[in-house]
Amino acid sequence: MTDTVVELEHVWKVFGNRAPEAMEAIRKEGIGKAEVLSRYQAVVGVKDASFSVGRGEIFCLMGLSGSGKSTLVRHINRLIEPSAGKIRIMGEDVGAMKPEALRALRADKIGMVFQNMALLPHRSVRDNIGFSLELKGMDGYNRAKLADKALETVSLHGYGDRLPAELSGGMQQRVGLARALAADPEILLMDEPFSALDPLIRRNLQDEFLGLSTHLKKTTIFITHDLDEAIRMGDRIGIMKDGEIVQIGTAEDIVTAPADDYVADFVAGISRLKLVSAAKIMIDPEEYQAKHGPIDLSREHPTAAPTEDLDTIVGLSTGSELPVLVKDADALIGVINKDRLLQGLQGSADV
Amino acid sequence: MSAVQPSSGAERRDVTERDVSVETFVGTGETYYAPVFEKFQKGELPQWHQNLLALIAPWFWGAYRGQWLLFWLSVALDLLALVCLMQVFKYTPLLEIAQQDAASNQTLIARYSNWITQFGWAALLLFIGGRLWLGSRANRWYFNQYSKWRINSSVAHAVSWPRVVTGAVIMAIVMPLTTYRATQVRTDERACFNQMRSGEVTRTLMASYGALNAGALLGDMQAKNSDLLARMEALATKESLTSDEKSERAALRKESRSLGRDIKQVEANVALTGQAKFDCFFVDDFPTLVRLDPPEDVTYRRVPDEAAIAAGNEGATMLVRQVKDAVEGRRVNVFTYSAESIDMSINYLRAQFAGAFDAMTAALRQSLIKVEVAFMQTPWAVVAFLFIVLSWKFAGRGTTIFVASSLGFLALFELWQVAMQTMALVVVSTGVCIFIGLPIGIWMAKNKVARWITEPILDIMQTIPSLSYLVPAVAFFGISQPPAVLATVIFAMPPMIKLTALGILQVPESTKEAALAFGASDRQLLTKVELPMAVPSIMAGLNQTIMLALSMATISAFIGAEGLGAIVTASLGDAQAGKGLLAGIAIALVAMMIDRILKGIRNSFSLI
Repeated sequence: MTDTVVELEHVWKVFGNRAPEAMEAIRKEGIGKAEVLSRYQAVVGVKDASFSVGRGEIFCLMGLSGSGKSTLVRHINRLIEPSAGKIRIMGEDVGAMKPEALRALRADKIGMVFQNMALLPHRSVRDNIGFSLELKGMDGYNRAKLADKALETVSLHGYGDRLPAELSGGMQQRVGLARALAADPEILLMDEPFSALDPLIRRNLQDEFLGLSTHLKKTTIFITHDLDEAIRMGDRIGIMKDGEIVQIGTAEDIVTAPADDYVADFVAGISRLKLVSAAKIMIDPEEYQAKHGPIDLSREHPTAAPTEDLDTIVGLSTGSELPVLVKDADALIGVINKDRLLQGLQGSADV
Repeated sequence: MSAVQPSSGAERRDVTERDVSVETFVGTGETYYAPVFEKFQKGELPQWHQNLLALIAPWFWGAYRGQWLLFWLSVALDLLALVCLMQVFKYTPLLEIAQQDAASNQTLIARYSNWITQFGWAALLLFIGGRLWLGSRANRWYFNQYSKWRINSSVAHAVSWPRVVTGAVIMAIVMPLTTYRATQVRTDERACFNQMRSGEVTRTLMASYGALNAGALLGDMQAKNSDLLARMEALATKESLTSDEKSERAALRKESRSLGRDIKQVEANVALTGQAKFDCFFVDDFPTLVRLDPPEDVTYRRVPDEAAIAAGNEGATMLVRQVKDAVEGRRVNVFTYSAESIDMSINYLRAQFAGAFDAMTAALRQSLIKVEVAFMQTPWAVVAFLFIVLSWKFAGRGTTIFVASSLGFLALFELWQVAMQTMALVVVSTGVCIFIGLPIGIWMAKNKVARWITEPILDIMQTIPSLSYLVPAVAFFGISQPPAVLATVIFAMPPMIKLTALGILQVPESTKEAALAFGASDRQLLTKVELPMAVPSIMAGLNQTIMLALSMATISAFIGAEGLGAIVTASLGDAQAGKGLLAGIAIALVAMMIDRILKGIRNSFSLI
């Protein structure tokens, strides 16, 4: 995650006939959502959103329906014009682009996958996948070659000549993904791509996409309303509520340190086994010894690295009566006893 | 506002707490309505239960409580009862007059007395029955209003005097005039026109006599008339008259006669009662408010331009404007004025742009001739074969049998060539419809303003009776095949435009968004996404257009279209039912053939 690919700075979107006035009032007077609605009959879709996504990173935007995540992601390729704020893609200001440049950006640099697939029903799967290439003016031969390659990437080889309607939902979304990948863009925008699929196929596609992205290394912005999915997919997660990003962080950050009650409510039901690391719950050795007496280092203590998750610690701890020692390059940096482990699992440890 | 926090999950809902009690709803009289509502809900309210105020003064109660349905129904029922009652008042004096000469007016007396009893009873029943019904419905409807108000706070509730005022205004506008109208016998059709005419004459005479009012004018005129009469008297006493005197007498006689006419008009005007004037304005037809001098009677003609021809410019023409003298004293109403003005504008346009109209006519005629050649001069066997192949390929065996037998019918009754002429007309008109309609449809789908403009025009085009299209076509292009094509085009084009626009507008927003997200330009969006996805809709439009063109091809035979339609119109003129029927069947068969084949083509398209 060396360099920034997508960068949003204080992006606002106000919908309504009197949106510019409302935006002006927000900037000058700092009025709230309710007042914007009552005074200007305008709705705030996105409220002061800022984030940046590094190269190869998967950034999940998570929120309930109506929280503005789909609106926000459409600002990145300027399908929606922001009311205020700046969007940069690889350093270039998207808002200042001429229509020509914008089309080139959309065709070359950004691939998008939609919740309802949005395939063209009158075109074959192959022609659907080659659509962005066709728009760029690529000839039919190369188009078909690239499309078949993309089909292979999503393991749908041989389906090129079918019509979308002949494919199942999961297969259609694979076609959607292949279409986004065909032009080999650097950025993928995925707008709830798996939400409409049944759980088994969803999981299947999630795994496959994760596998793909480890070697394709596309910068991805992934929208979902499902926290489990966000945690599975995202390197980092941004949580949105009412058009506002309330917290950005890794899954562990969000689960262990929710920014407010809203986020806490969300993460309440999430299993912490795979999310929380030893470093988060370990007790300082000095403190431990002060309470429980000195640690007898001659005995066979189970040991773990600070990055191990709770799942592993539980495994280590159940094999021995002694507390687990957390060691970083042979130096003792923390201790986890059973009480602490149980607290960590429950989420009541003051971490 | 209070926030309701559900026990689990993170969803928050804001719920407005609104006072929805019966007390707030009824405003006053809660002690009466609350138990009534409760009884109604329990199903214990008897059918004959009456709301007394609604029984006695339903319109007041309805307006006061915002129960507008009851208000309007009570106004309507009372008005109806009142109108029936007024019939009794209207016919009673007529009956008396008739009874003065009972012997010769037997049927009239029977009819009048019959009416009087019938209307009297109707009035009574309507009044009493209506009141009882409304009184029993009042509380039930009021409860329904309460239920609606609980869902939607903008439903009328509580009591309000402004609403009563509104109700009173409504009744003041509707009731008295209608009641008065019911007491009056229909006025003579010419009476109002004569009234207006006498008024006009009086006003002009007042100006020429310098009189201040109609009474004074009448005095002046009568004085002048007696003067004339005296002079005539003086001449009459003479035994023999010179020729000068004879012509003077003739002149006097003429003047006196015309003066007599004028006096009659003025007298009629003076004698006009206020009631007669009121009747003409409000009772029957909408009154003629203005009468205008007719527009100048102008005709435009294009004639050889002698000066230019003399200067060597052969074939030069020029526009000539001829004005006819206006008819003395002719005044027309707005309808006639506008109609004549339109006539003159059409005349002008036709003369001014004669070249353009001729070019259009020529283009249409040329394409028509080409298509006619294709249909009529291709051997019939070839055309029939092509039809059969087409239906076999797209529409299956059943349709093919139908097409073959229809063609057989046309051939057997020797209508082949005529049918092909009709086909040619339909093909050319449809071609023009596609050529013009498709771009307009796209424009309409893409542009809100265009939609706003074209939609009402298209609606009007579809509503105007098809015969009306013939008139402007004839006015601009005369009588022949090209104007028939034109009238057909205008008549048949709306579905083409509408369904093209509809097809494009029906493309899902998400699909268009996806295309844009992959870098489509507006043009690419149209040609690669919207138009292909609109094809089924466009094909449906094409089908309708062809059907309409076929039906219009018959009607446009009135202005010179050839083909099956011409046979129908000719047989209409000669009252030859058999001939007309056979040609009609042939038209229906042609229409069905084209429809079935097109449907087949459409279905095979939608598979893609």
